[in-house]
Amino acid sequence: MPREAEPSLNERAFVIQALQEGQRLDGRALDQFRKLELKFGDQYGVADVTLGKTRVLAKVSAEVTAPYTDRPFDGIFTITTELSPMASPAFEVNRPTETEVLLSRLLEKTVRRSNALDLESLCLVAGQKCWSVRVDLHVLSHDGNLIDASCLAVVAALRHFRKPDTSIEGDVVTIYTPAEREPVPLSWLHSPFCVTFSFYGDNGEIMLADANLLEEQLRVASCTISLNKHGEICQVAKLGGTAVEAISLIQCASAAVSKVKEFSTLVDLKLADDIKRRDKGGLMAELSAENER
Amino acid sequence: MTVTTEPEALLSHLHKADGSATYSYAGYTVIGAVNGPIEAQKRDELPEEAIIDVVVRPAAGVGGTRERHLESLLQSTLRQIILVNNFPRTLIQIILQITVTPENEYVNGKLVQANVNLPVVPALLQTAILSLLSASLPMTATLTSTCLAIISEDGQRHIVKTPTARQIEQSQSFHVLAFTSQNELILAESEGAFTMKEWDDVYSAAYRQCCTTAATDDADTLMDEGLPTDTDLRRFIRSTVEQKTASDLYWK
Amino acid sequence: MATQAERVFVLPGDEIPASLIPSHPKRALKLGPGLRHMPPSELIPTVAGELVTDHKKNSIWVEYNGGRRPGPEYYYVTITDYNPNAILPQLAFEMATKKTRPQLTHGALVYARVCLANRHMDPELECVSPTTGKADGLGPLVGGMLYDISLGMARRLLMRKSVEEGKVAVLEELGSAGLAFETAVGRNGKLWVNSESVKTVLIVGRAVKETDDDKLGVEQQKKLVRKLIKEMS
Repeated sequence: MPREAEPSLNERAFVIQALQEGQRLDGRALDQFRKLELKFGDQYGVADVTLGKTRVLAKVSAEVTAPYTDRPFDGIFTITTELSPMASPAFEVNRPTETEVLLSRLLEKTVRRSNALDLESLCLVAGQKCWSVRVDLHVLSHDGNLIDASCLAVVAALRHFRKPDTSIEGDVVTIYTPAEREPVPLSWLHSPFCVTFSFYGDNGEIMLADANLLEEQLRVASCTISLNKHGEICQVAKLGGTAVEAISLIQCASAAVSKVKEFSTLVDLKLADDIKRRDKGGLMAELSAENER
Repeated sequence: MTVTTEPEALLSHLHKADGSATYSYAGYTVIGAVNGPIEAQKRDELPEEAIIDVVVRPAAGVGGTRERHLESLLQSTLRQIILVNNFPRTLIQIILQITVTPENEYVNGKLVQANVNLPVVPALLQTAILSLLSASLPMTATLTSTCLAIISEDGQRHIVKTPTARQIEQSQSFHVLAFTSQNELILAESEGAFTMKEWDDVYSAAYRQCCTTAATDDADTLMDEGLPTDTDLRRFIRSTVEQKTASDLYWK
Repeated sequence: MATQAERVFVLPGDEIPASLIPSHPKRALKLGPGLRHMPPSELIPTVAGELVTDHKKNSIWVEYNGGRRPGPEYYYVTITDYNPNAILPQLAFEMATKKTRPQLTHGALVYARVCLANRHMDPELECVSPTTGKADGLGPLVGGMLYDISLGMARRLLMRKSVEEGKVAVLEELGSAGLAFETAVGRNGKLWVNSESVKTVLIVGRAVKETDDDKLGVEQQKKLVRKLIKEMS
């Protein structure tokens, strides 16, 4: 498949020189994010995140399956991040690129291993029946910082999602269709978010938040910190690249805390808006369902 | 779930792709992107024409045989109208990401489904056409597509245009048809049991829906048919792309 | 059969007996590496090696090992992403000779004109006018910044009267505001901006990109220029 064209030497030299003068191409401050938008779909569990010209869409689905034999009391939770050629012709179907592998590992560590979703609550009958919750992440447009945008989309979609209601009487599990009973939210424990920093200069002394694609192509190192609004860090990833001073990482962490608080407030706000929007139509929807029957 | 009665579209909204479109109609939303003509892989390239590569991705779950089937239907349809001979040894990539599918309130969805998924074809085709137009790739014609179901009620069979998920479930047979802008039938796929007479009726109904812009130019004729749901697809495509072109050439 | 199995060794300039040249009744003769065709019908080896023929494919070549592939006579140039490279002959520059041709490294930028475009071949570029031998502003671009712009914007900027016909006023506005800069516009949707000052390049780039993205009219462009200059100073 065609490879991504590399930036020219002129671009490389200019971007670095501008950064040394404290300037970014789009006029942002070094620690400033691009415009962030979060939208929920009409259906439950769909979150659409736009960060500048980067756009990702997360969709959650759930179905009943048998639990893993070694974890009889837990449900199943998977996050799939397959980058399609939609984001860039360099992404080939069924051939994961490094970008894709890193993205899925970071989401795995941030959301799944930090126990954001209570897996035990997904168990229906121990060792026999459980919910399998799945998030499909679709990258629609890639202009840098996929990680932060994707993590936000995944967390928002999971919190927005409703799974079919169930009841258990003896050994009989009943799963209600949306027409029979209103679906229920997942048991959610905390909301972790990723904040990625890019480093420039010989010793990585210049630090940028929310790099766009060109800035990402030119950075010498990057660091992703995942944490929740209480400042509890889930993971820190600095994979290769130029070594940076320890103090820089501490600066990253403290910048990340305030950013994550913003993310958290945004998601809370949008979820509340969405509930309000649905409540208005709630009665109407019930009536129309009645009529159809 | 409310079903959108009027189609909606957004063009050239993905900045990195050569062409893109989001199309919503009848409960489906599909995002399409087109890249091309770009360099084809040496082992795939065709000496005299462009390869058309269609990728269909479901909203949830990974694509399987069902998506491969859809891709082959779309590929063979689209390569007939794209001027493939203009771009030998190149690749034209059409990526169609399904984001919303109509929900059936009476059934809990299953992720892995082996059956064919014809109802999504019109939305995929319309999205592909809009994306190709957005990418300014040369074509011989545009196309419009619709789906119809034959439902039997009180012993009588009748045709339903753009049926809902529940109607499809209860239908006797289900049909997808597509016509080029020269009124030629370019795709016809059917499922279920039906007679030749019924197929002819389906054909005429689809023809009326897909190929009648010229005949019903004023609103009166549309009213006469008494079908408010009868959307003029051809006019929709024309006006959507017209708007986009006008906005591109705002400086003229 | 015996002649087939016999190994035929050739040296450069050797005569190849006509009996060894395959003569397929229908297919054209194909020449492989190490052979040179001298019209009308003479074939001369150019390297030492074993002469090999394939009667089925009606082809003939010299099998050898060693030497090296000739160095590139061309620069390979990316015109747009994900497309095959265009070729730019190393001598297609103003006053270029084998000794004075520009030394371009990987990642260098050039301002070039397409001189050959054919759907069956890779495009060919030149940085010199073939009739006058003058560069006419074409050639390597040193320093500055490269911006992606829409193809429509590139066309407008290249119009002879870009302000009146193309309705792009930002460059003129910035110039009359006292900013000193130079630009080069490519039909492939690239804008190169250079200036002594980094800030000037940034302002010019942002002014054109925002005009393009937000579809600004002439009055709005003037407003944008005033805003950008205020912000940066």
